[in-house]
Amino acid sequence: MTATTTVKLAGIRKRYRGTTALDAVDLSLQPGITGLLGPNGAGKTTLLRIVATVLAPTEGHVRLLGRMPSTNEALAEVRRRLGYLPQEMGFPRGFTGFAFVDYMAVLKEWTSRAPRHDEVRRVLELVDLGDVAAKRIRALSGGQRRRIALAQALLGDPDLLLLDEPTTGVDPEQRVSLRQVLSRAGERSTVLLSTHQTEDVAALCDRVVVLDQGRVRFDGTVLGLVATAAGRVWLADAPHPAARASWRTGTGRHRNVGDAAPPAADLAEPTLEDAYLLLLGDRALATAVAS
Amino acid sequence: MTALAEHAAPPARATTLRTLAGVEARRYARHPLFLIGVALLIWLTATESYGGYHPTSGGSTFVPAFFLGVLGVFVAHGLTRSMARSTDAVRAAPADGITRTAALCLACLVPGTVALAWVTWTYVASSLWPATESAAISTTERAVVFAAAVVYAVGGPLVGVMVGRWTRFPGAGLLAAVGLVGWPVLATVGLAMPASRLSSLVRLNAPFTIWESSDGQGEHPWIAGGSPGWYLAYITLLCGLAATAAMLHEASGRQRSRLVRLLVILAGLAIASLALAVATDPTRVPL
Repeated sequence: MTATTTVKLAGIRKRYRGTTALDAVDLSLQPGITGLLGPNGAGKTTLLRIVATVLAPTEGHVRLLGRMPSTNEALAEVRRRLGYLPQEMGFPRGFTGFAFVDYMAVLKEWTSRAPRHDEVRRVLELVDLGDVAAKRIRALSGGQRRRIALAQALLGDPDLLLLDEPTTGVDPEQRVSLRQVLSRAGERSTVLLSTHQTEDVAALCDRVVVLDQGRVRFDGTVLGLVATAAGRVWLADAPHPAARASWRTGTGRHRNVGDAAPPAADLAEPTLEDAYLLLLGDRALATAVAS
Repeated sequence: MTALAEHAAPPARATTLRTLAGVEARRYARHPLFLIGVALLIWLTATESYGGYHPTSGGSTFVPAFFLGVLGVFVAHGLTRSMARSTDAVRAAPADGITRTAALCLACLVPGTVALAWVTWTYVASSLWPATESAAISTTERAVVFAAAVVYAVGGPLVGVMVGRWTRFPGAGLLAAVGLVGWPVLATVGLAMPASRLSSLVRLNAPFTIWESSDGQGEHPWIAGGSPGWYLAYITLLCGLAATAAMLHEASGRQRSRLVRLLVILAGLAIASLALAVATDPTRVPL
């Protein structure tokens, strides 16, 4: 493990009643933003829950922030430096945004009232919710609720920030604003960002990990993954039957992703989405259709 | 100094518990069902509507027992389950499950405080308006019978916390409340039996009991046998059992072993207290 490695997973397996969610996953993370891509059921949420210390692996070793989280004391030490936004997050009835984040701050051991309230206000401002902090959560939109959930993860500027689908339901303007927040967090912390949005990964991440059927299928730079699609994306006048994916673009031409060159086609600049489709094939398409 | 800098050193676990307990106590005190219970308690106390019991007889303790204890099952169950939809985020925080549960248990002192105020008022009232006085029950025993109201008011909510930790279905709080009412109702069979240690056992094993017959039942009023003091110890230990069982759900490793040991000790002491309460003269004494 290098000096800056904050997350080290070795041989992680997780089984649920005969189903293998994660299979021999090895992963090391350093400060910076790492994107976690994969189709539905690939094991992304399971991986994040293990790193967040809320789920124990069936097999394998986990080392977080220089500690093995195997005792209550070590768990508390790790959790003090960890922020986690779960994929699904409900809120207790009757809470305002401020009250909920304040409650989470108490759980994160902010015991002095004045600094805790300052911190709650800071994270709510970070996610642009300072003006609606006093509103009941049930009166907020889905995107605002998602940002409340993100605000609690940002409490205390954690060294390890785990985000499961942070931009789901968030409008484009807010998404850009959140990218700014996350990119600042990535300058000093280790951020693991699980998402279906390849554009978020392309915009934010230094590194991308692609999970499929519980296994790591790709682990490298975003540019490295995009490079795997070079020479395999075409613009043609018609869809090509051999293409892995094909769709009509706004210019009227068809974007064909696949190895076979359609007739009279021009090579196109590949995107992260093209590379992801080529890497995972039909399973990635199924996820794209589903989402 | 910035908020982040001030937060750099982790606080002692007791500090976190105290802060969290304060937050949970405020949530408890603002719960609509608790406020309704307190309002009804005040109204019934002001109008001396104690279902035939003299205001200063021990029978009137059923009022705080129901409006703070039984309604408290729903309040505490609701508070315990309220964070269920945020479980993963809550579990990733450094305040562990035992601390969170202990904070909820401490919040159950809120209805206990109200019950204590009720007991104090009843004693003030008894000095202003003389109570039914009898050699059959000493002042200390009467005080003990009234003190049980505080335990009833804390015990119901503690059951709510325990049920909230161990079950997930939404009707669990209602079932617990029905059980908590049904148990003492069934135990009144003991009053219909000829006075004996068996009848005392049937009556006193329940977490609520009546010591004195109500006024105007067409018979001479009486006070039931058994020891109010040991009964108070018994129901207090039942509260301890509920709180420990609630915390056990969140414990693992050494903490779990310690809590299991504590549970066994509390259960043993509860059985011993019940036995001592029952062993005391079971004869029904006319007032």
